[in-house]
Amino acid sequence: MNILMFSQLLALVGFLCGVYGIYRRYAETKRRALPADRSPLKGNPQHGITYAFTLGMMPWAKESTRIHMIAYLRGIGFHVGIFTAIGVLISPFWGPRPEALTLLLTIVLGIGSLMGAAGGVMRLAERNLRGLSHPDDHFAVWLVTVWMAVAALAVWNDAFLVAFYLLSAITMAYIPLGKIRHCLYFFFSRMFFGKFFGRRAVFPHPEAAK
Amino acid sequence: MTETIELALKTLEAQLNQPLETAMEACARCGLCAEACHYYRAEPKLEHIPAQRAEQLRSVYRYEHDFLSRVFPAWTGARKLDEITLANLTEIAFSQCTLCRRCTVNCPLGVDTPLMMRAIRAMATAAGTAPEILVMLADAAIEKGRDPSFYKDMFLEQIKEMEEQLREITGDKNASIPVEKQGAKILYVPLAGAHTILPPAIVFNEAKEDWTLSIFEAANYGVFLADMGRAKAVAKRIVDEANRLGVKEIVIAECGHAYASYRWDVPNWFGDQFNFKVHSLIEVLAEYIRDGRIKVDPTAIPEGVTYHDSCNLARNGGLIEEPRYVLGKITTDFREMTPNKAEAICCGGGGGLVALAEYTERRLAAGKPKADQIKKTGARVVVAACENCRLQIGDLNEHYHLNVRITALTDLVVRAMRLAKPLPGTEADHLFEGEEVSVPRE
Repeated sequence: MNILMFSQLLALVGFLCGVYGIYRRYAETKRRALPADRSPLKGNPQHGITYAFTLGMMPWAKESTRIHMIAYLRGIGFHVGIFTAIGVLISPFWGPRPEALTLLLTIVLGIGSLMGAAGGVMRLAERNLRGLSHPDDHFAVWLVTVWMAVAALAVWNDAFLVAFYLLSAITMAYIPLGKIRHCLYFFFSRMFFGKFFGRRAVFPHPEAAK
Repeated sequence: MTETIELALKTLEAQLNQPLETAMEACARCGLCAEACHYYRAEPKLEHIPAQRAEQLRSVYRYEHDFLSRVFPAWTGARKLDEITLANLTEIAFSQCTLCRRCTVNCPLGVDTPLMMRAIRAMATAAGTAPEILVMLADAAIEKGRDPSFYKDMFLEQIKEMEEQLREITGDKNASIPVEKQGAKILYVPLAGAHTILPPAIVFNEAKEDWTLSIFEAANYGVFLADMGRAKAVAKRIVDEANRLGVKEIVIAECGHAYASYRWDVPNWFGDQFNFKVHSLIEVLAEYIRDGRIKVDPTAIPEGVTYHDSCNLARNGGLIEEPRYVLGKITTDFREMTPNKAEAICCGGGGGLVALAEYTERRLAAGKPKADQIKKTGARVVVAACENCRLQIGDLNEHYHLNVRITALTDLVVRAMRLAKPLPGTEADHLFEGEEVSVPRE
């Protein structure tokens, strides 16, 4: 077994740990009670859920993201990079690939890591963010940022593959342990948001009385 | 572990369902919720960021539920619950959050921070650290439900006097305020005080509605305490009354938390025993005007009027267009505040805060963003369809010298009905008619 295979094996173990950990979290949360809502509908919870995951995520949909548009778009760029890096990690299509795809992946991952670094610096420099953060928050953002940067390098040059797999092992295994697990609860949270406000016809908002 | 802490933790565990656990776990601490909160807008500091407030409970939750946090608490900011932490949590939940859900709406993840604040309130109530006045008010309401005969005669006497006023104002000798009318279509549930009985009675009589007045009031302090036992006991009085009288519909006075709880929560608490439609008086007013059951003069209110969206009615209740429809039919100079509707800024009086005298200074400070909004409209009249909002805006009016008049929507509708006499206490309102609006828009 060469070092590349060993790093791949570690990445696989880390990935499986991450998936198992997230599954455990998911199962634990699903085991908890989900209060039934018997109140008569005014709006439509399904429409609310659709809104929560689509238009409700648009930068203009909320006052907070309108005010902090750049910070929000930075976050979007960061998360697009993360999902691309996961795609690269689990992609079976290593080896020769179109140059344009390599370039695109490198750019997306590179931008993602730059956005991550900006977030990491903001978390240290900005008074409120620094006050809100725990060591876990700082560690998580820098871990993922470095992982994405190495992913960008690995896509561009195979010499970085070992480093990418080793970092992937750590990143994946850490997901269920620290704050990164909010990736799971994002889906729960937006769904409950959509159900609550959709039921009440608040989001999406029809002109109720005409 | 003391008994108090044990009770608080037990209550937290009992509440930990899917939505609450999600709220505990989903926050990325991005801080985007900061400006959503009126406390932060009024005084921008870390403690006023909703995420930071919620973090105080999360730290306790993590200590109890997260492996990494138990091993390295400092890594995730986890903390064991102790008396000091509980006192701090209680203070936060009862004095620094009005449960308005503006932070939830503005959170990219939709984190329900008010749900966490409710969890703290429930913990504090169970542990005996909740504000005593709220507990007393809830218990007094429950007691009233146990033996209404104690005050019923006096109440009926007052209603009789009010009926006289009603006849004078409407000029209708047959106008009445029916109480405990068997088989009526609507059970109207007022708040404490004639001001939430007489104006609706005028409207119901004019619309020839088949209605009856509840002997109980709609306010539910158990809701503010997030104490399910007390909240349910308070609501049960009205559910039992509605069942006993065989009504089809419950109409709630202009009250934010009462509407939100009876419309959206109480049906879940009582299941099959709750077979009534629940409407706010605002919806009823809109319906009567739309159907022509009451006639209103569209030019009756010439002065600049603005509308304050109560968080419980609009963002948490879905009553957004109905009050605007009514105002559109009776005013000639309606001015929206910005932002409004689901994005409206809380006035700072919600969550039971107006009942807590010890937090008055904090409440008035947190109301500054609302005071600024009102000022910017240049309106002379502020309509608020929630009693607590009206009380808070009344205090803001005095504190920030807004020079506005605060009114319920029903009172304005009654004024637009052009009756024989004005409502008692509103005689001065008529001075505004035809008067130039002297406060310019900014």
